[in-house]
Amino acid sequence: MAAAGAFVLLIVIYPLWQVLFRSFLDAGVLSLKSYQKVFSYPSYYRALLNSVWVSCATAAMCVVLGTLLAFLVTRTDLPLKKTLRTLLVLPYALPSFFAAIAWIQLLGPQGYLARLVLQVFGFATVPWSIYGAGGIVFVLTVHYFILVFITVAGALERMDASLEEAARASGAGTSQIMRQITLPLVLPAIMAGGLLAFIGALANFGIPALLGMRARFFVLTTSIYYALAIPDFGLATALSSMLVLVALLTMALQFGIQRGESRFTVISGKAVHPSELKLRSLRYPLFLLISAVVVFISILPILSMVLTALMRYWGAPLSAANLTLQNFAYVLKFETAQRAIMNSLFLGAVSATVAMFVGTVISYLHVKAKLKGSRVLDFLATIPYAVPHTVIAIAMILAWARPPVSLYGTLWIILVAYLAVYLPFAVRTTNSTLQQVHDSLEEAAKASGAKLLPRLRDIILPLARPGMIAGWILVFMPALRELTVSILLYAYHTETIGVVVYNMQDAGYREIAAALASIVMGLLILGNTIIRKLTGGIAGF
Amino acid sequence: MEKIRIINLSKRYGKVVAADAVTFSVGDKEFFSLLGPSGCGKSTVLRCVAGLEEPTEGEIYIGRTRMNSTADRISVPTEFRPIGMVFQNYAIWPHMTVHGNVAYPLKLKKLAQDLIESKVKSALHTVGLERLADRYPSQLSGGEQQRVALARALIKEPEVLLLDEPLSNLDAKLREQMRFELKDLQRRTGIPILYVTHDQAEALAMSDRLAVMNVGRIVQVGTPTDIYTRPVDRFVADFIGLMNFVPGRIISREGESATVEFFSGHRLSVADRSDLGGECLVAMRPEDISLSPTGPIRCRVEVRSYAGHLVDYKIRADGAVLRVQTAKTEIYQEGEEVGFAVERAMLFAARES
Repeated sequence: MAAAGAFVLLIVIYPLWQVLFRSFLDAGVLSLKSYQKVFSYPSYYRALLNSVWVSCATAAMCVVLGTLLAFLVTRTDLPLKKTLRTLLVLPYALPSFFAAIAWIQLLGPQGYLARLVLQVFGFATVPWSIYGAGGIVFVLTVHYFILVFITVAGALERMDASLEEAARASGAGTSQIMRQITLPLVLPAIMAGGLLAFIGALANFGIPALLGMRARFFVLTTSIYYALAIPDFGLATALSSMLVLVALLTMALQFGIQRGESRFTVISGKAVHPSELKLRSLRYPLFLLISAVVVFISILPILSMVLTALMRYWGAPLSAANLTLQNFAYVLKFETAQRAIMNSLFLGAVSATVAMFVGTVISYLHVKAKLKGSRVLDFLATIPYAVPHTVIAIAMILAWARPPVSLYGTLWIILVAYLAVYLPFAVRTTNSTLQQVHDSLEEAAKASGAKLLPRLRDIILPLARPGMIAGWILVFMPALRELTVSILLYAYHTETIGVVVYNMQDAGYREIAAALASIVMGLLILGNTIIRKLTGGIAGF
Repeated sequence: MEKIRIINLSKRYGKVVAADAVTFSVGDKEFFSLLGPSGCGKSTVLRCVAGLEEPTEGEIYIGRTRMNSTADRISVPTEFRPIGMVFQNYAIWPHMTVHGNVAYPLKLKKLAQDLIESKVKSALHTVGLERLADRYPSQLSGGEQQRVALARALIKEPEVLLLDEPLSNLDAKLREQMRFELKDLQRRTGIPILYVTHDQAEALAMSDRLAVMNVGRIVQVGTPTDIYTRPVDRFVADFIGLMNFVPGRIISREGESATVEFFSGHRLSVADRSDLGGECLVAMRPEDISLSPTGPIRCRVEVRSYAGHLVDYKIRADGAVLRVQTAKTEIYQEGEEVGFAVERAMLFAARES
């Protein structure tokens, strides 16, 4: 307990405290000067406003897209619903900056779709720009709508069918039932999903970095990146504190909604499947429309990434003669990429192992041993969940990049940051895994005469193993492709895969970036399949 | 000699009192039940004996050894207590075979392999599972899982066996069969059993003695006959078996019998040692009421339901509705006007304090 507490204190609490503390410090004296700076320079407070409106717009679009798709995929007689659903969820298994890269390949100047539109309509230039606010909101929506989709689809499925049947028996027609019964009942889920999308968009770095910085359109996360490059720690920490504040407010709102939702418990865990809406003559037209949407947001970006990886050079005419495997060969021989792959594998494996170990200890103390104070520990360990990763990276620089313990420029500082980022995920999976092991199974072992270690070794860990392995992969996979933390903490020799892909893309070597990204994509989709197999489809995307 | 002794045991969760000054003991070779409605604290008491809960106050002895004493800050961990325990959901480890489950307590004791084998074999024989030793729990029926749990609890030869509603997850037929098997097993092994149940029929059928609990307190301890025929208060009378209550008035007392007036002037002499007087409640078991065309108290048959071995009636007399059970040979029609006589009754205070 003490060891786990010390770990959480050093990895989570102390660094985050440093961020808050430093934001009120100017030349060693407490002051509000950093905050004054934010509000006196238009470029900084505009970043705050940009963050808020971009996230709001994204959330609104996610709500519309996610709710419509969720309804069509759960409650109608659309053909191939399961396949559609799997494909819709697929892009979320890939990192958001991959999405940004893929959409630049598709819609950017010389993009595949852009070239198609120019050819078909004979425009001189395409009537849109992927760089800037519009492009950012578009890619954020395509990436985060799935959060609304999953929560709403879940609520629609868990809804008691008899509530709708009772309305029908009372004489309500289909559209009346939808408006007066179904929609009000899933409204909390829609709002919760929308807030999740808001938080995701707010904390995202990769998409506004690749699509916004070039157009000089800054949001909070990219401004923090910029402030660190100056470097101006006062400014960076003040912006960070504001970012965390907005995220926390949103989360508080979401908790409130969840509470309200559980108060009327009409959405129960019953297995009665609600009736399907017959689409009749609309069935195939709608199916074609949805399939087009799925192809557009799930299939095209992946195809585009692979296609780019196979191109002789970016922007080459599409012909068989211009296809080659040399990019893959180059990536595999390229020293920086090799090092990055090794670094990411190391960081992923070590952070997954340590996070799962500490997570298991915390969960056992909290869920099984029910020790006093373990609830607080559990809460502290899940704090980073609410903190955007940019802020976590800054926290690590403040806490662990100065004497006496200077880890800056080493892999260790990235590892510590990864641990803070992924500890909440580990604690959550171990909590739910251990909760599934019924208390009486451990009590029976006690009554059989088993002390703590035999109980863990013979009963609890074997029963929790599938969940533990799934949890390990759930940390390993996102760590393998991590960008936000590594881009702020890397130095020469400690690049990660995310950093190399980002830098290659930024420097214009798009086919090389695409080749490396394609390799990672393959690994991620494979890992995701393994998790779904292991957990029977409960975990994974 | 007493095998389990519980002295003044209390357990509080914040302001909620789960067990309140509970005191009782279980003798050698005794089958002792804790009986009560759900939430009465019976499982809490059992879990305190097992060491799975810490008492807020009180002492617990198993054999001669003190397991808990809040005064002396003694609390022996579960794994060091000489107990075997069967859980409501059996708690069979799903990743181990039947053999693995039953052998586990002996493996922890680091016994020699061949000794373990022979003991497991005889334990599986005792519960009739020797052919299923290599099965996994998911391949077993509820009754078979129950037997695995029993074998696992018995194999380390504990001083006492603790059973927490072990039959409540079985279907009615199997439950009756297991009652006999449990009783038989206890006779053969002679192990004292502390048994927790909310099913009064189960407790009456199996126990040598039982304690009836209500809101954390023990209301009555006694043999099944004691408790069925001489319940100490209205709660026990109502909870154990079926009971009809009608208002009455005690008009005279003579030694250990009282004359009570009920059903508009009808009088009955009742064996009663209490000091009740005036208004009271008259309690009658359904089998202590006999129907006949010429019975002294007039009534009307409201509902008749045929239960195979007997006939169950609801009759209305003087505004009260009574349950009556008669032999299956006596059949009256619904709506028929008949009479009844009360053969035995008990008296309780009109208002519970």
